[in-house]
Amino acid sequence: MAKRTHDADVSFVQALAELLRANDLSELEVSRDYGPEETLVVRVARQITAAPVTQYVAASAPVAPTATAAPVQTAPVVADDPALHPGAITSPMVGTAYLQAEPGTPYFVNVGDLVTEGQTVCIVEAMKTMNQIHAPRAGKVKRILIEDGAPVEYGAPLMIIE
Amino acid sequence: MFSKVLIANRGEIALRIIRACQEMGIATVAVHSTADTDAMHVRMADESICIGPPSASQSYLSFPAIISACEITGAEAIHPGYGFLSENANFVQIVEDHDLTFIGPSAEHIRMMGDKITAKETMRKLGVPCVPGSPGGVPTLAEAHEIAGEMGFPVIVKATAGGGGRGMKLAKTKADLDQAFRGARAEAKAAFGNDEVYLEKYLTLPRHIEVQVFGDGKGRAVHLGERDCSLQRRHQKVFEEAPGPTITEEQRARIGKTCADAVAAIGYSGAGTIEFLYENDEFYFIEMNTRLQVEHPVTEAIFGVDLVREQIRVAAGEEMSFRQENLTIRGHAIEVRINAEKLPNFIPSPGKITTFHAPGGLGVRMDSALYDGYTIPPYYDSLIGKLIVHGPDRPATLARLKRALGELIVDGIETTTPLFHALLAEPDIQAGNYTIHWLEKWLDEHSG
Repeated sequence: MAKRTHDADVSFVQALAELLRANDLSELEVSRDYGPEETLVVRVARQITAAPVTQYVAASAPVAPTATAAPVQTAPVVADDPALHPGAITSPMVGTAYLQAEPGTPYFVNVGDLVTEGQTVCIVEAMKTMNQIHAPRAGKVKRILIEDGAPVEYGAPLMIIE
Repeated sequence: MFSKVLIANRGEIALRIIRACQEMGIATVAVHSTADTDAMHVRMADESICIGPPSASQSYLSFPAIISACEITGAEAIHPGYGFLSENANFVQIVEDHDLTFIGPSAEHIRMMGDKITAKETMRKLGVPCVPGSPGGVPTLAEAHEIAGEMGFPVIVKATAGGGGRGMKLAKTKADLDQAFRGARAEAKAAFGNDEVYLEKYLTLPRHIEVQVFGDGKGRAVHLGERDCSLQRRHQKVFEEAPGPTITEEQRARIGKTCADAVAAIGYSGAGTIEFLYENDEFYFIEMNTRLQVEHPVTEAIFGVDLVREQIRVAAGEEMSFRQENLTIRGHAIEVRINAEKLPNFIPSPGKITTFHAPGGLGVRMDSALYDGYTIPPYYDSLIGKLIVHGPDRPATLARLKRALGELIVDGIETTTPLFHALLAEPDIQAGNYTIHWLEKWLDEHSG
């Protein structure tokens, strides 16, 4: 997130949280495209009752304990978490991600490429086995979230395809 | 010594291992499923890696996920804790094939003791007393009748691949044997995919006595006395104490030496427990657990040792620091297992902990991964804490346990804490007068 939009983003999130309370909603998600490389996704949620609601967010920042300890308040606000993006491809295993078949060869995909469903977009290596990661659907590569050779956790976002 | 260790477990035992590593200056890697993102072991470790979805088979039991987590973090050794992969010989083999160190015994020893018939044959040859029984698997009902006739009833039919009480059927008299034999085979087939069963003489009122052993992998081994874990419900231990209230110093020295000599003879490495049934002053071998036990802290308390530290030292190739002549017992220790279960039927009670307060003071140790606001996920076992108390003698330790239980607060879920308050009021518990059937009988009398 560019610095110049930070204050605006905070106000935006606060306004959404207020909207949530005022209308007695439990969850609200808004996505805004400010430019080709700049997207803001905000999801605000709260627990209406004190009943335990467990939210599992793979490979994202741990939810602040103060937020979960106060169930009837505005709960975790997760802004711009790529793992929550509807077009995110997440790693099906823990391992090392590669963007190319071998060193020196071109990347499987680049930002802006159009991909077809089932096309290999990267590789995750686990225990010396190369596991091809396929595009779940056709679309355009919006973002590549990993570097070649990066260690990835289970559920870590690899790319966003829209 | 290792510079970084990965802990392939969760809950209180993961914390136990992280603490030992921290004191030894070893960096730690926690692995976790998506259900454990907020778990205490993830917070306490130096690094954490999400290795899979909530299902244990795809996370804490997944070989590739755990090996990969070592590779991407540069961990040199894996401590398996108890349960999960701690007694999986195939996993140990794969760990070694990847030039990593498994903190525990060799794949060969895990395999040897994992097969109940091989384990018994090995122990018998090493001079460890065993329960009279069939020399191996019993394939036919006719053979079962012949063997049972020689041993005398009651007999118990057990699955060769068994454990945790499954694939086990009792025949009190000759008339029960047909049903017990068929039942055990069917259960063994369903639970373990192997319907081989064997026969053992059934002891009527035994105690469960287990001997802690430790080997250096080079032919030297010691014993650290016994624990009495007779108070069990459905073969799950709930209350453990050391030393055993009925075991004399002479008995301890004798059975301890037999066990230490046996594991020394096979070149066993690391911590292990040899379990016995004990009746009429005789020990009968049941099985050997090739790992750290849940109840290891009672032994640590009375001997003043750190078993996890020693496991790590020996796995790293250092000399074992234990010497039999230096291992002396000081006082008495008791552990109670606090489970997230609702009494009287022990129904699992996962949920959010609103308040957690651990007891403290002299001689009190609380090993738990709970914290205020933590939500216990429903996917794993229900053990949420172990309260261990140490005192100068048994009566003082019982009084300390009562006092410490009174300080323990776990609000928001149901726990087994009230069971221990009730048990401490029983004259039999106060006198140490109980067998492996005592708790089941007491529960029957006190429910409904």
